[in-house]
Amino acid sequence: MPLRYPKRISGGCHPERSEGGETIRARPLFGSFATLRMTSLRLWMLGLALFACKREHRDFYGLPSSAAVTKPPVREVELVPGGVAPADSGPGPYEENAYAVSQGKTLYNQYNCSGCHFQGGGGIGPPLMDADWIYGSRPENIFETITEGRPNGMPAFGGKIVTDQVWQIVAYVRSMSGLLRKDVAPGRDDAMQVRPQEQSTPKARRVQSAVPKSAELP
Amino acid sequence: MPARNFASTRYSGLDQITAANAGQLRLAWTFSTGVTRGHEAAPLVVESTMYVVTPFPNLLYALDLTQPGAPLKWTYKPAPALAAQGVACCDLVNRGAAYFDGKIYYNTLDAHTVAVDAKTGKEVWKTKVGDIGRGESITMAPLVVKGKVLVGNSGGEFGVRGWLTALDAKTGRLAWRAYHTGPDKDVLIGARFKPFYSQDRGKDLGVSSWPGDAWKIGGGGTWGWISYDPDLNLIYYGTSNPGPWNPEVRPGDNKWTAGMFARDPDNGEAVWAYQWSPHDLYDHDGINELVLLDLPIKGQTRKVLVRPERNGYVYVLDRQTGEVLSADPYGYITTSKGVDLKTGRLIEVEEKAPLTGKVVREICPAAPGMKDWQPSSYSPRTRLLYIPHQNLCQDEEAGQANYIEGTPYVAATVKMYAGPGGNRGVLTAWDPVGRKAAWEVKEKFPVWSGTVVTAGDVVFYGTMEGWFKALDARSGKELWRFKTGSGIIGQPVVYRDPHGKEYVAVLSGVGGWAGAVVAGGLDIRDSSAALGFVNAMKDLPQATTKGGMLYAFALP
Amino acid sequence: MRLALAGSFVQQPHSVLNPASPQARLVDRLWDAMYVTSIVVFILVVAALLWAAFRHRDSLEQADDPAQRRPLRTVVILATGLTAIILFVFLIFDLSVGRAITTNPGNDALQIRVTGHQWWWEVQYRDSLPKDWVTTANEIHIPVGRPVVFELRSADVIHSFWPPSLSPKRDQIPGNPNSLWFRADSAGVYRGQCAEFCGYQHAKMAFLIVAEPPGEFATWLAGQRDTAATPTDASARRGKAVFLASSCVMCHAISGTPAGSRIGPDLTHLASRRTIAAGTLPNTRGNLAGWILDAQAIKPGVKMPPNRLSSADLHALLVYLETLK
Repeated sequence: MPLRYPKRISGGCHPERSEGGETIRARPLFGSFATLRMTSLRLWMLGLALFACKREHRDFYGLPSSAAVTKPPVREVELVPGGVAPADSGPGPYEENAYAVSQGKTLYNQYNCSGCHFQGGGGIGPPLMDADWIYGSRPENIFETITEGRPNGMPAFGGKIVTDQVWQIVAYVRSMSGLLRKDVAPGRDDAMQVRPQEQSTPKARRVQSAVPKSAELP
Repeated sequence: MPARNFASTRYSGLDQITAANAGQLRLAWTFSTGVTRGHEAAPLVVESTMYVVTPFPNLLYALDLTQPGAPLKWTYKPAPALAAQGVACCDLVNRGAAYFDGKIYYNTLDAHTVAVDAKTGKEVWKTKVGDIGRGESITMAPLVVKGKVLVGNSGGEFGVRGWLTALDAKTGRLAWRAYHTGPDKDVLIGARFKPFYSQDRGKDLGVSSWPGDAWKIGGGGTWGWISYDPDLNLIYYGTSNPGPWNPEVRPGDNKWTAGMFARDPDNGEAVWAYQWSPHDLYDHDGINELVLLDLPIKGQTRKVLVRPERNGYVYVLDRQTGEVLSADPYGYITTSKGVDLKTGRLIEVEEKAPLTGKVVREICPAAPGMKDWQPSSYSPRTRLLYIPHQNLCQDEEAGQANYIEGTPYVAATVKMYAGPGGNRGVLTAWDPVGRKAAWEVKEKFPVWSGTVVTAGDVVFYGTMEGWFKALDARSGKELWRFKTGSGIIGQPVVYRDPHGKEYVAVLSGVGGWAGAVVAGGLDIRDSSAALGFVNAMKDLPQATTKGGMLYAFALP
Repeated sequence: MRLALAGSFVQQPHSVLNPASPQARLVDRLWDAMYVTSIVVFILVVAALLWAAFRHRDSLEQADDPAQRRPLRTVVILATGLTAIILFVFLIFDLSVGRAITTNPGNDALQIRVTGHQWWWEVQYRDSLPKDWVTTANEIHIPVGRPVVFELRSADVIHSFWPPSLSPKRDQIPGNPNSLWFRADSAGVYRGQCAEFCGYQHAKMAFLIVAEPPGEFATWLAGQRDTAATPTDASARRGKAVFLASSCVMCHAISGTPAGSRIGPDLTHLASRRTIAAGTLPNTRGNLAGWILDAQAIKPGVKMPPNRLSSADLHALLVYLETLK
């Protein structure tokens, strides 16, 4: 039975362009020396390619400096008078770093965020894996929600969780509704699996449409 | 009072609506509360006025029953702290009000008790009894006994220290407070304390049955029902689950959580106590209603209390001594093998005990128990107890318990699902003397509403799809049903209006722990949401939507 | 060679060759037997090799003679048989040691639960009276002469509990409690180490076992049962306020205060411990200050974040932590 091998070395991180495929016929073991040599060479190169992968850098918590912790401009609504909206501040500091996002996931559970929001489905607090954001979905909105608290029951964690960790949690919270790149979002749980992986959560579309709880007051 | 009478039978002597004519019931009038959280309260009818307490923000409406359509007389707005929403474990419910001496008493979510003039709707007093900063909230309906308003705190999921407090009905001043953990002087255990079983005797058991000072954050609140026996001058009430849910971090019997007390209402002194689930493993709060009856047991009439308990057994206790006379399962149980009548202890199944970092499967009944807060009713005519309950099992993994003040203290991941048979709810008519079910009605969703039974031999209850049903109290045959706007989790009441006509009324508005998936707009992709209840209720958003409406029915 | 090995470790108690419990001694004896046997076998093999290399060349020419070959075959058969027997004896010996180590410790054993965390050890003393349970970290006090049963758990990844002088190692697997027991024969401070790679700071995940006479142990345990001392002087009072108002309270527990988080070590009796950061540094004020301000510089990757505190707050916090005896 002919096996079809792609004519490339798939090292995962630096895939070369595929140029079709080459047919290799299954031969008896030790069929010819040349084949053996080629196969072993391929294996070596595969191994090399894997080892040559650029490993993601792990940033441990840096020393906090007053310069680094400037608060980004916070904007919760789309309506901006004067016609020109200030530019978005872009992704949060850890949103390109899978290690930091998984740290955020650990902290999310350890600091009892999961006590109210559970694994994103909500309960005591609102769900985090859906498309509804009462106070905005931008990283700086979520940062502010965590540090300053919100009137309908969200406690203020400012001063209790160090800034780096808040940003890690922010990145994780955004990954819950598919707002991060798939290869950065966590792909496994440490405890009983109760929800689809963050990696495979489809990106939630709407950004600001939810009715805050306070608006339910008659 | 919230349970119809001090014995909590929820039995109405009215007999205009009977099994023969219940099929002709018609909608008489409706009233929208304007709130769309879970409506668990029982409307309270005093003379010609109906009082309705809503879920958070805990409005109080007075409706004039003398006029057609019951127009609004006044509204009282207590303006509870918004932040209280962050410490309410299971939706923002309120279970109702009590009337005494010209005033309406009820509790607000932010741990205040208010007294409102029943005629004018003016606030008479408002007392702060708990602190939301420490996780305390109040959802229960108070009971007024001998001029004292009895209230207890919720927050077994937030590491509170549970208590029952008596306030002076006139002034709102604190008369006494009995804690449910800690040293005997805080629990008001004194010379009169004579528990029936030996494990409940000893000094400061509320301290020694906890590791270190865990009793200070050990839960054991009171958010259910209180009964009162005027002859014995004793109040009876249950205590909630110990915190956190992960039992491994709180070795010992965790007294006096997941149990009950008999106390003297005058000074709060404990007379006896009993624990349904010592060292509770599964959030089996012991707060359900206690129905005080005089039943013939083994040939003699005994003063008993009947309790359909969360752990799956209908207990019959001697209410003078606290002796367990019988305990029989009323559903499917895997977590225990029964109750040892010699020692009074629940016989637990070791393999089902939650373990940190390990998923334990097929825990039945699940955390809300065989039956949660939803009160049952007892008819002296049929001698049956009508128990609304659920049929749920769960998988659970206990986790690291981090107590951070003002945040939840649970440390368990739970995933609930339907028990054997696939029906999540059951209404069981239980014969407490024969110790067996007379009949049962299966429901798709948990029966999270209370029941009420009348002298016309009709049982009323609601379903979470929104059906309000009348059953023949003797056979369980359905006589009538009406589809309300939202799922029903409230307590139906039967009353006579000033013209002498019998009505039955119920609040429709889905929510509570079971209905949080709809009331809180939760995401069904997360099975652990709302403490794992969402997994069992994934189809509820298709069956009903949020609402808040009072329906009153009568014969044409 | 053994003396040399043992000698080089004599300053540190972290050695399998320095047994201080019956369990460790059995392992040590097994090691000795294997070591001595190996040396004898090694000498014999080398001798045979030398003999084969230097024997008379003329005898080689007669190798084809069947009469000459027979004794050689006998030697080979004998050597093979002897090897098999030696290995078999080792197997029996090994199994018997394994059995002897896991015998029933008896009813008066002390029960201790050790939970591995990245990268520190949570230690819990169990008692029939729940009130007397004690939680501490990284320093395990045990009474000399009394069996101690360890219930081994993990809160995150696989760790392995290994105090070399006292016991063989045993893995700590999340969700599956493991156990081992031993009895320390002589008082002393023994070092232990995580023996299963568990992440970035696996190497700095050590613990101390302090074996002390039963009287001293009882005093120590009674002290650990107390809730934390309420600070009396102004500086310590301020330190307590700093602790409760800052990020400390999110991860650490101090009994008698509202701090009850179990992410990091319990600090109720921090000042009574010899080391901080799981055996990384001696517990001194300077080290503690450095650790609080920038733990990452000392143990990169550790879960403790850097903290920004004013010097007055830091001083007060240190004063408070030093009262936690």
